[in-house]
Amino acid sequence: MNLAVEVAGLRFKNPLIAASGTFGYGIEYEDILDLSRLGGLVSKGLYMEPRDGNPVPRIAETPSGLLNAIGLQGIGIKAFVRDVAPRVARHDTVHIVNVCGDTVEEYAEVARVCDGVPGIHGLEINISCPNVKKGGIAFGGDPRMTHDVVAAVRKATRLPVIPKLSPNVTDIALLARAAEEGGADALSCINTLLGLAIDVETRRPKLAYGTGGLSGPAIRPVAVRMAWQAAQAVGIPVIGIGGISSANDALEFLIAGCPAVQIGTANFVDPGVHERILADLESWLERQGLDDIRDVVGSLELPGSSDADDCGTEACE
Amino acid sequence: MIDRMPANRIVPLVARQGLRGPYWLLSFRHPQIAREARAGQFVMIKAGTSADPPLRRPFSIMATDPGEETFTLFIKDVGQGSHALSALDVGEVAQCLGPLGHHFSAPPRGTEALLIAGGYGVAPFRLFLDELKRDGGRGRLFYGGRSSKDLPLLDHMSALGAPVVPATEDGSAGEKGRVTRPLEGWLDQETGPARLYACGPEPMLEAVAHLAEARGLEAEVSLDPWMGCGVGTCLGCVVRVQDAGDERAGYRCACTVGPVFDAARVRWPGEDVSRARRAASGVEA
Repeated sequence: MNLAVEVAGLRFKNPLIAASGTFGYGIEYEDILDLSRLGGLVSKGLYMEPRDGNPVPRIAETPSGLLNAIGLQGIGIKAFVRDVAPRVARHDTVHIVNVCGDTVEEYAEVARVCDGVPGIHGLEINISCPNVKKGGIAFGGDPRMTHDVVAAVRKATRLPVIPKLSPNVTDIALLARAAEEGGADALSCINTLLGLAIDVETRRPKLAYGTGGLSGPAIRPVAVRMAWQAAQAVGIPVIGIGGISSANDALEFLIAGCPAVQIGTANFVDPGVHERILADLESWLERQGLDDIRDVVGSLELPGSSDADDCGTEACE
Repeated sequence: MIDRMPANRIVPLVARQGLRGPYWLLSFRHPQIAREARAGQFVMIKAGTSADPPLRRPFSIMATDPGEETFTLFIKDVGQGSHALSALDVGEVAQCLGPLGHHFSAPPRGTEALLIAGGYGVAPFRLFLDELKRDGGRGRLFYGGRSSKDLPLLDHMSALGAPVVPATEDGSAGEKGRVTRPLEGWLDQETGPARLYACGPEPMLEAVAHLAEARGLEAEVSLDPWMGCGVGTCLGCVVRVQDAGDERAGYRCACTVGPVFDAARVRWPGEDVSRARRAASGVEA
């Protein structure tokens, strides 16, 4: 049975990737998990320099979801390359660095530092974090800026470039095309949804930052819809992200057209979640009489899909 | 082959005891946790696999019985996660990760361990008193709350053999006032060397930290911010920490660097620099 997929020129031994911000730098799980069982993992977001992140409280639970405003606390790319990359390189899986920046130049600079470093196989470009004042969604919400950031990173590295898109936009197809035109090799869809939770006793936001990014099962239908729209809009692969905690959840994204998926918040609930999803994916394929996961990708059957004009979204044009 | 801690431990509930009010003692079976857990460590635990609420909850390990292969948690039924746990029947299982975090350090020989508990924060001190007893150490528990209703383990803790000094803000049990009052009273006497250990609400921990500094004592505090993952990846439970050599305070995960911290390293909300930094740089408090 084949579970391997190729995305952005990278070979993943299975389509399950640990999502940025939910798996540390990977090495935190060395003693708990066999990291080589993962299709891949994406590091916590990294700037040039270390970052403190936001004040606490940083997380709040919501119905079937998690609202966070961590604010990209991190060790910075130089410490990552020096201390972490050699350790993650020992594990046979695909390692993607999540690249952050306050400016277009900083994104490019972080990408340049990663180029040629053993243990770094690809770059995910974070133009969608809702919890920082500069960079993040400030770039990912605007097609022109999205294009420019991706193009600058593209020029700075030979590594595959995978912009991570925000759901906090009116038309994700527009941003997906801008990223593709900027030179992206694949897209990650989606980052968290901007949310606000209020403590009614104090009448203050539950998070010190105020708003936060919503993740977890609560956002999955929105995520599947947006990953599907993005996949329709571009010719490059779209990695699906959003609320996956079971094989069925992962299959929704695969069927919608994503050759690979990222597992995020579910890692907090159960760090071994990918093992369970992997086993269940295999049984599902067996039950379906299939022997290649790639045959599932993009197999969505839309009622009346022969009449594409009628499917109700611009992405189907 | 690396000896990995399994990502998920399925732990069956073997005993449950309802206490006064919303409090429960729940005992689960797991040989390794029962054998390895130290006072101050915790588990991330969840009843069932429902997506709502999604996260596991951190609970201090209150007691262990390596012979019976069980560990006991002190649960206050206050929300969805704790309610689902306290509603488990004997024989049902929970999803568990642990033991996690750093434990309280044993006091040097001849030094008395003064344990300061605020309400629900008493949980790790049962195990701590057990460890002290086993190792021939001396402990004394100061157990405070708003009223006697907040001290559901008063009889339980008093039966362990170590002196227990209750205090309540309304005077319904023990001395009237905050728990730091009888503690100061004790320290005012000729008492010999002592080290402070505190677990409870943050204002109480901060008060203990300042008291320790004023009297030149060492203190360890167990901090309890909201936790997401318990293993240092979500960065949700961070605490501001400043070591002697740190020019500025940085965020450290309570789950992996703590939950037990040297009180002198913590930069408390009312401070510009930590005690450790003040001491190193010769700045007066």
